[in-house]
Amino acid sequence: MPDTPKPIANSLVVLREEFDDWAILFDPATGNAFGLNPVGVFVWKRLDGHHTIKDILNELRKSCEKVPEKVEDHLKEFIQDLIEKGFAEQESREDLSP
Amino acid sequence: MKVMKTPRSVDLAITNRCNLRCTYCSHFTSAGDVGEDLPREEWLTFFEELNRCAVMEVILQGAEPFCREDIKELIQGIVRNRMRFNILSNGTLISEEIAAFLASTGRCDGVQVSIDGSTPKTHDACRGQGNFLRAMEGIKILQRHGAPVSVRVTIHRHNVKDLEDVARLLLEEIRLSSFSTNSASLMGLCRYNAEEVQLTVEERSFAMETLLRLHEKYNGRISANAGPLADAKMWLEMEKARQERKERMPGRGCLTGCGGPMSKLAVRADGVIVPCIQMSHIELGRINRDDLHEVWENHPELNRLRERRNIPLSDFEFCKGCDYIPYCTGNCPALAYTILGEENHPSPDACLRKFLEEGGRLPDENAK
Repeated sequence: MPDTPKPIANSLVVLREEFDDWAILFDPATGNAFGLNPVGVFVWKRLDGHHTIKDILNELRKSCEKVPEKVEDHLKEFIQDLIEKGFAEQESREDLSP
Repeated sequence: MKVMKTPRSVDLAITNRCNLRCTYCSHFTSAGDVGEDLPREEWLTFFEELNRCAVMEVILQGAEPFCREDIKELIQGIVRNRMRFNILSNGTLISEEIAAFLASTGRCDGVQVSIDGSTPKTHDACRGQGNFLRAMEGIKILQRHGAPVSVRVTIHRHNVKDLEDVARLLLEEIRLSSFSTNSASLMGLCRYNAEEVQLTVEERSFAMETLLRLHEKYNGRISANAGPLADAKMWLEMEKARQERKERMPGRGCLTGCGGPMSKLAVRADGVIVPCIQMSHIELGRINRDDLHEVWENHPELNRLRERRNIPLSDFEFCKGCDYIPYCTGNCPALAYTILGEENHPSPDACLRKFLEEGGRLPDENAK
């Protein structure tokens, strides 16, 4: 996945914060749910069509201690997984327009 | 005690009306029988709040949800607000049009239709003449349109000998994947008709044996959260633990019988927020006036119910000297309330020791 796109969450999907900073992503169209740890929640909240992956990475590095070396790969994998599940889209529609 | 930030699921009594008057109905004459329905706009506004609270599903019930002429508009509001839904119904008002609509939403997790017998005689004994055929037709219409349908069988004195044929009808003839069971409980109208509808100890023993056998025969396709099948499973487990002299079972020995207040809320037909439809006497607030999140997190009555799980059964005079204390949960607080007027008490209806003292017998597990 390239760095420049600004991934955007599917607005139909519900972020359900339950205990502490953990959450569930719930797709009411299918009934599918997907557990998120606090870092996942942090990332999800930035899938707003305004943040690039680099932006999210930078914010993550600023906000978290002991960020693993392979964080960029993990982040890309995570976002790709969300896209494959239909929970997010590759780019905001705004960016795709001519 | 960890409590979710908001409820996952909310039970909504969207109407106080019903076209039937089943003799064991838990709604009529209960605190939930409020004699009025909220206008559609009130529900639609509330669904927006449920969306903000990230509630995942609502369970539409009543009385009878299909008595609402605007049920389609209500369901459209639920869909718009990113939730899924279930409907609890007597099945007699389901039309081709409504079944097609339900299927088209893609958000319906199930319409639970009540079927209490394999014939009009047993079903209609408590539900009124003609309603077996109407409810069965309702199921067939739902199936035809691909709307998910399930069945709840409420066991009472008139159908307890019909369970074998009920299972055959539902699982073989109309090919449901499963069905659930409970029994007529001392709530609502059942309190006035208990002699006529509630199982005797002997009938309860018979129902437990029969249901456990059918549960095996149909590979677990019969389930229960309450009633004879649930009792049979729970009580056999408790008896086994007692015979093996287990010190205790995890999560037992206190009033842990109900996890509802940790993940669910309910709303009466007049918009009053309650912990559970069966505990409609505990008023927590009103929709569109009180903040749901605030009610959920801070209402003292809700927290009192959540904390009941810390109350040891050994504190109760009722449980004194009982060998089953380390294996018991005290069961349903709503039933404890209707029987004794106190939620924070073990339900006498679910007491194994009492059942055995009254001549009840546990199913023989080897004879399944």
